[in-house]
Amino acid sequence: MSVISIKDIEKKFKVYYDKGQTFKERLLFRNRNHYEERLVLKGISFQVEKGQAIGLIGENGSGKSTLLKLMTRIMYPDKGSIEIKGRVSSLIELGAGFHPDMSGRENIYTNASIFGLTKKEVDSRIKDIIEFSELEEFIDNPVRTYSSGMYMRLAFSVAINVDADILLIDEILAVGDVNFQAKCFNKLREIKSKGTTIVIVSHSLGQIEQICDRTIWIQDGLIKAEGSPRTIHPEYMDFMGQKRQEIIDRQESKKEKRAEQKNETENNHNSVETISLKESKKAVISESKRWGNGKARISKIETFGVDDKTKKNVFKTGESIKLRVDYIVKEKIIGTVFGIAVYRSDGLHCYGVNTKIDKLNEVDIINDGTFEILLENVNLLPGEYIFDIAIECGDGIPVDYYREAHTFQIYSTTNDVGIVRIQHKWSY
Amino acid sequence: METIKEIYNYRHMIYSLVRRDLRGRYKASVLGFLWTFINPLLQLVVYTIVFSVILKSGIDKYYLFLFVALVPWIFFQASISGGSSSIIAQQDLVKKIYFPREVIPISYVTSCFVNMLFSFIIIFIVVALSGVKLNFIGVLCLPIIMIVEYIMAIGFALIASAVTVYFRDLEHILGIVTMAWMYLTPIMYPIDMVPENLRKVFAINPMVPIINAYRDVLYYGQIPHLNTLLNGFVLGIISLLVGVLVFGKLKRHFAEEL
Repeated sequence: MSVISIKDIEKKFKVYYDKGQTFKERLLFRNRNHYEERLVLKGISFQVEKGQAIGLIGENGSGKSTLLKLMTRIMYPDKGSIEIKGRVSSLIELGAGFHPDMSGRENIYTNASIFGLTKKEVDSRIKDIIEFSELEEFIDNPVRTYSSGMYMRLAFSVAINVDADILLIDEILAVGDVNFQAKCFNKLREIKSKGTTIVIVSHSLGQIEQICDRTIWIQDGLIKAEGSPRTIHPEYMDFMGQKRQEIIDRQESKKEKRAEQKNETENNHNSVETISLKESKKAVISESKRWGNGKARISKIETFGVDDKTKKNVFKTGESIKLRVDYIVKEKIIGTVFGIAVYRSDGLHCYGVNTKIDKLNEVDIINDGTFEILLENVNLLPGEYIFDIAIECGDGIPVDYYREAHTFQIYSTTNDVGIVRIQHKWSY
Repeated sequence: METIKEIYNYRHMIYSLVRRDLRGRYKASVLGFLWTFINPLLQLVVYTIVFSVILKSGIDKYYLFLFVALVPWIFFQASISGGSSSIIAQQDLVKKIYFPREVIPISYVTSCFVNMLFSFIIIFIVVALSGVKLNFIGVLCLPIIMIVEYIMAIGFALIASAVTVYFRDLEHILGIVTMAWMYLTPIMYPIDMVPENLRKVFAINPMVPIINAYRDVLYYGQIPHLNTLLNGFVLGIISLLVGVLVFGKLKRHFAEEL
């Protein structure tokens, strides 16, 4: 039996360019009232069976939260129909109607009444609610004396004890500490096993995998894919990885353009006199993130995938990364050492190596050139990472040490945690 | 019908919101809940001084004449002007949680209504001290008058709150409108003072029968005319129906407009 059936729903939003809120503004600037109608949901249909738990995923602005709001009847669709059988409770906003000066107990009554519970219903649940929140000692203190964690715990406890037939949840499971989160998940599982239907909107695929039987992936107001979380989530992660690559490429090209323009204008404005200044500047490099004697200078940094053809900055855990660095030589350098280091965006030093450590030949460089390093099967776990790149003379004098020279991203389709993936095999 | 049933199911929410409002209002002040009584009492003192000492009106016990009409009017005015911004004030709730939206203006009006009831304690004390003899049946009519006024206030608050969501100026416009409305209602003067040619305007003013009925009971010590009661009742029901209809039409897009 399907308890939620959604048929071809469409939802438009008016996006005002410059909306006049008051009468005067509307009258005076009548032609400013132009708005654009944006179709947020473009015809979505699906059904949810009783007792099923489904997860809605999708990038920001894909329409998944709007969909959830339509299901709670906060908004109404422009086209199509939504049929929901049973009592709906939505965990979209926690702690609705809390008054800071009233005690925890009083706020439980207020908050539960907003979910449509009568006093009697709350009376029969209050023990469970207080017990679940673990706030027995503080329940008669005013809520303003609570820490934010306690506040959220109380709010969640009320919401989860409403005993609805259908539970709609939007991104709120990041409540309290690790123990309380685990408790929330157990409670959700318990609720589900009692036959409650659950719909979750979340960016945390892990959470959805823990509870849901089915994932619906929404992209640009349409269902892009649906099925078991195990099959949909890797696809989604791949898609998001590519998307991030596109964004980074676009930003880089913008940056390059801006830099070029800047150079051009500078060149035009500054005539002969400044050239000498520029020359001297080139000799010694000293910028906040760069230092060295300036005999050579790193001019271009790029990363490639295994196939060596496509430039990219986003890699999957376990993929190989090829780093290519071009440099310009001003003066002959004897006994050159090339080096790299990898830092995570929070500053954790993950790896560092140079040609000297690897006992490679020191070379003398006279002409502009390129060096490459192939990092095989980089098992770093998802996050943002940064390369430091250095050219040094044999005796350790930096020629061009470029800190935070190049950023790359790692994503993964599995949810293992830590810094790097350690190759492993289970047996039991 | 569906709406009314749903609002009934959410009656506890109305109760909670009213309680929260009343308890929250004076929570941080020293005198706390006493303000509910002090406020009308001080008003009475001011009006007595102004109209019995400075601006003599020639009406017997003018302070009582004014007071029994002013307290119900203040309730009505607060319901409309404060009620108009009630939905906007609770926009976090409206945008995030489903409940029948009517609950918010109804709660607001109810909390104003409860305040008026407290003020009536002062009214009764003043009436007793003034020596006016109350008619027993007249006093029994009082709850009916109050309920009719309450219904009417809800009707107007529903319209005002819903329209204000789309048109924010209404909140300020209503400040002026209610002031004009007060002078077009026989609160500071008796209805007989109104010139014949203006009576038509007063005939369509739904607050006229209400104020007259209060005054009949509490100032003249009479039973209000059946006509007055019926008149007020019909107007109250009409304003409620219009309010529910308008609100029902407008509420669907609240979440998007806020």
